[in-house]
Amino acid sequence: MRNNKHPDVIFIGQPNCGKSTLFNVIAGLKAETSNFPGTTVEHSHSKVNIEGRVLNIIDLPGTYSLNPSDEAEKVALSHLFLEKPDLIINVVDASILGRSLEMTMELIELEYPLIVALNMMDLAEKKGMEIDTGKLQELLGVPVVPMIASHGRGVKELLEEALRSLDEKRSARHLCWSRDVEEKIEEVEKMIPEDFSIVANKRFTAVKTIELEMPSLNRMLEEINLPLKQTVDRVRNELKVRHDAPAYEVIAAERHHLALKLFEESTQVKRGKRISWQERVDDLIMHPFIGYIILTAVFLGFFLIIFKVGGPLEEILLRPLMSVRASLQSSLGTGWLFYLTDGLIQGIGGGLAIVLPYFVPLLFLMALLEDVGYLARVGFLMDIFMHRIGLHGKSISPFILGFGCNVPAIVSTRILESRRDRVLTSLLIPFIPCSARTTIILALVAFYLGPLWALGFYIANMFLVAILGRILSFFLKDPSPGLILEIPALKAPALTNIFRKTFIQLKSFVKFAWPLLIVGSVVLGAIQFLNFDKIINTILSPLVNDLLGLPQELGVTLIFGFLRKELSLIMMLQSLGVGYQELMTIITRQQLIVFTVFISFFIPCLSTVAILWKEVGKREAFISMGLNTSVAIVISLIVRLIIGG
Amino acid sequence: MKSLLDASKASRFRITRIVGGYGVRRRLLSLGFHKNDLIELDSRSIMGGPLLIRNLTTDTSVALGRGIASHIKVEIVDEEQ
Repeated sequence: MRNNKHPDVIFIGQPNCGKSTLFNVIAGLKAETSNFPGTTVEHSHSKVNIEGRVLNIIDLPGTYSLNPSDEAEKVALSHLFLEKPDLIINVVDASILGRSLEMTMELIELEYPLIVALNMMDLAEKKGMEIDTGKLQELLGVPVVPMIASHGRGVKELLEEALRSLDEKRSARHLCWSRDVEEKIEEVEKMIPEDFSIVANKRFTAVKTIELEMPSLNRMLEEINLPLKQTVDRVRNELKVRHDAPAYEVIAAERHHLALKLFEESTQVKRGKRISWQERVDDLIMHPFIGYIILTAVFLGFFLIIFKVGGPLEEILLRPLMSVRASLQSSLGTGWLFYLTDGLIQGIGGGLAIVLPYFVPLLFLMALLEDVGYLARVGFLMDIFMHRIGLHGKSISPFILGFGCNVPAIVSTRILESRRDRVLTSLLIPFIPCSARTTIILALVAFYLGPLWALGFYIANMFLVAILGRILSFFLKDPSPGLILEIPALKAPALTNIFRKTFIQLKSFVKFAWPLLIVGSVVLGAIQFLNFDKIINTILSPLVNDLLGLPQELGVTLIFGFLRKELSLIMMLQSLGVGYQELMTIITRQQLIVFTVFISFFIPCLSTVAILWKEVGKREAFISMGLNTSVAIVISLIVRLIIGG
Repeated sequence: MKSLLDASKASRFRITRIVGGYGVRRRLLSLGFHKNDLIELDSRSIMGGPLLIRNLTTDTSVALGRGIASHIKVEIVDEEQ
């Protein structure tokens, strides 16, 4: 959505540079329209009012360079190339300045107005780096603002600088490379006609035509302008002969050398390069043996903490809810008013007392693991296991995101370079127990049968994912390209940052999911009053009752589970007409387990299907629905046969 | 020429060449792996798992699958220990 009245300010940076943290600080402070974490399909954007001026700020996915090699980078680039922004803010991780400046070099070549936000200055300082920002600013020829986004430091200065840059409209100027390379670029530049679709400026377009050696681009060039194509080919060849490396590598090396030169001229490194505690901790958590023990402990701890916090909270919060319900029943009788208010209370109270106690600690711990940099390390450790199921370690991060919510997890499969990996990962993600399903597992299985049962459920779930991966990769034959995954430096957790992340995600639950829970519960109340539920239940009876051995009344809850998985849990009580504490009086342990199994694997929720459709394809979305439903039925049957009931 | 797969933990290496297709090379370049960079092996995972490589020139760490690591040719710079 482009609004011509307000200037577009693009945030771009390499992965792990703290760009989203910065974006959240800015958007969170003064956002007029919020960003939608998790449902962000292309990029988050937000209108921000700064000193009376409205800016349209856009957060692009992290990208290592302006040469796309995965879907996330393609998104970042199409935005940058197609819509000329009014200002680019390049967020740079100061602690790895030398590497990060390589992309700054590329952004400067665009010759748009540009500001460098030199983030994580605290980390750089701890590493013994002394960055002379004035000098760097002079060398780059664009404003450089030092900052620590996670503490909110430097944000005000950055925004002031942004306003100033927008007023002055001062564009960056490209920095010069080696003479012989510049000459070759000029040769191509001269061949570009005026009516050519020029990106940014002629020099940038020339550089990109030389370095993007993609067959599709070559073919297109050949069709529209053969002389230009011949010049490009000749230049590529001359560069190759002269430097004994492909042209794109020669150009990448120019940026690399320039970046290192600027880094050396602006920065003094005083102490040894690495912080010793990081090194020691890293040696342990990446250890080929101890690393796996720690990994297991982290995940057990993760699970236990959520249960230990959520369980007692749930009990405390449920008590007043039960008494309200009881008094309602006595005062309203069994008329339509009772059904509707009961639905309303189940929806509001269920969200508050059953979902939130588990959801909040889960979000918090996820944010913590991500913030300290443990997730990438899990990718390293899990790579060999992922190979067994036909993937590699990079898919771990979408999987782990999937424990929070499947929707952003599927979006994040964009970081995978090959289509095959994307499809396989996206089909497996709906089998990962997301926070909604974890809530169901904890609230039903752990609460009634004990935490060990829930843990067992989780472990069995992981095995199921592994087996399915194995089976699915049998159908997807192309080889997986292998792991290339950056391991960012470990960080001490920044609590404000973690709280902010938790809060933003919680806000999206309260805004989007909770209303759905409430409306769903009220609608169920109305359906029950009108006796429609009997019809639905009768239709579903062969599945629910005969096949799964569950009370027929649960049929209607399955339908609603498609909207939101927690809805099945809350409606379960409502449809059976009992309170939370009385559940076990009318349902057996076996039925409880079968129900949880079925709900967990049965059809991905509506938002997951929608995002699969959009991100991966219609075909895959239908495959996913079919796969999940058949797996749910088969596994539920097996479980029923094993435990009886 | 040695590839990263033959690297030992005790030494430092210089990248002499990155071989392989456009995709792989591009990816490595954009992650800051260039010819002449100094690197060292930080950790090697069990059972044919990935290698953890530290690029001393750009001060970054990257996990590389064995297939990818075989694309990076190196020479020994100094023997520590």
